Amino acid sequence: MPLDSLKNSIEKKCPEAKVAESDHSKTGWYLDVAIPAEKIVDVTETMFDEMYYLEAITGLDFKDGFQVLYHFNKFKTKERIVVRITTEKGKKVPTISSVYSAALWHEREVHDFFGIEFEGSPDMRPLLMPEDADFHPLLKEFGKVNAYLRMDEIYGDDK
Amino acid sequence: MAMINSEPEVTREYFLNLGPQHPSTHGVLRVLLKLDGEYIVEADPIIGYGHRGHEKMAENRTYKQFMPNPSRVDYLSGFIYNHGYVLAVEKLMGLEVPERAKYIRVICSELNRISSHLLWFGTFLMDLGAFTPFLYCFDDREVILDLLDSITGSRLTYCYCRIGGVAKDIDDQFIEGTLSFIKRLRSRWTDYHNLVTKNVIFIHRVKNIGLITKDIALKYGVTGPNLRGCGVPYDIRKAEPYEIYDELDFEIPVGEKGDIWDRYMVRLNEMEQSCRIIEQAIKKLPRGPIKASGVPVKIAPPKGEVYFPFESARGEAAFYIVSDGTEYPYRIRIRVPSFSNLQALIEVLPGTLVADTIAILGSIDIVVPEIDR
Repeated sequence: MPLDSLKNSIEKKCPEAKVAESDHSKTGWYLDVAIPAEKIVDVTETMFDEMYYLEAITGLDFKDGFQVLYHFNKFKTKERIVVRITTEKGKKVPTISSVYSAALWHEREVHDFFGIEFEGSPDMRPLLMPEDADFHPLLKEFGKVNAYLRMDEIYGDDK
Repeated sequence: MAMINSEPEVTREYFLNLGPQHPSTHGVLRVLLKLDGEYIVEADPIIGYGHRGHEKMAENRTYKQFMPNPSRVDYLSGFIYNHGYVLAVEKLMGLEVPERAKYIRVICSELNRISSHLLWFGTFLMDLGAFTPFLYCFDDREVILDLLDSITGSRLTYCYCRIGGVAKDIDDQFIEGTLSFIKRLRSRWTDYHNLVTKNVIFIHRVKNIGLITKDIALKYGVTGPNLRGCGVPYDIRKAEPYEIYDELDFEIPVGEKGDIWDRYMVRLNEMEQSCRIIEQAIKKLPRGPIKASGVPVKIAPPKGEVYFPFESARGEAAFYIVSDGTEYPYRIRIRVPSFSNLQALIEVLPGTLVADTIAILGSIDIVVPEIDR
């Protein structure tokens, strides 16, 4: 299976990676890869070599930290893969814009909304927010939200 | 006596703002161009003028209250977004939808796709200086708006799909109207081709200009007709079929090189394919309920997350929803195709002429409020 070879090459690049298979009919992706933040560039390089394209970078705010999700897919049938990193608040995340040019805008957007700094990014100007905005609107502490949870309250204890 | 300058004349690079208020930017988009004479050295699209915070709005309202929002993200393919959103929530809940509702949704989505492509066709050619085609396709598009208006009650920002089905059943009048519209549109293709496709001025302005190659598409995540223009047959409706698309017979039109001409032809051919989809769906349209029974009044999906992609008129759009088990979503992230498609211009524009920029920008088919969300 092609996913097995990808699994192997991710594990070779990043032995700490937790690779879990996911039910596409329920979640929409096949592999769920949890890695430490500092390995993201290595893993992304593997994805680029395997001809994946970057669909989106998504930030998630929890009480005990941020999660940054990278959705990758191929221009083919059902190949979606999620790479997720968990980071403490106030810590920087390495940029992947040197691998995927698309990441530049996605990272700027995540920075706008969550204030997550991407280390080494050549351009961190505000993208969607006004230049003088001094707040990050998608933080759960901003404005009215319904819930502000810890990660294990949604995912259970395994992530 | 005037001084005679014996120094040779040199060109100097300078900056030009295209937009934010410019008729060819279709919304509030600014492209900062660094120019050397008429040639572009660097292009920096600046977005965010129409940011409305849809993702934040999702955090303080219920799944049902968020229903009107998706169609306002991309107002030109509003039905497809409305459709995609309910599909994502249904997948999260594991809800099975009656067959008839699926068919109705697909028919309306494809009508919406045609209307979006027709609007693109008109405005793109108007950017190139041709005013007449605009009048032709707005005439055709008006019929679609009337048809969808008759069942959904709105002309542009539809909120017709419901979690578990659709709001109202379609009637014979709608079906007859749709079939006669398809007949009318097919009789128009010759007009369009005679008016535009065979026009030598048009051909010179679009052939071999604004190439989006497969490499650029991969680096930037370009999808939709812009990707298919360079010969990659990738369409979510085929790659990850949702609803009834896997039961229908249609083709994915592709181009060769990825220039403006290819993107133009792909969209024109796509409209014909959408007509085929609608015809087949109407032929197969089953009888039965239009809403699933037993849909709870309070929509509270179980804890979990879902990434649901669907093919909008501009490419791969998706809803990524995280549920915490309550009737309020924890986070909704909207992946919009125009965001990635526009970003690719950073690589495509350098080396082209200012006049071609307008053509390239038009051919990408961006909807700026969709990018800004």
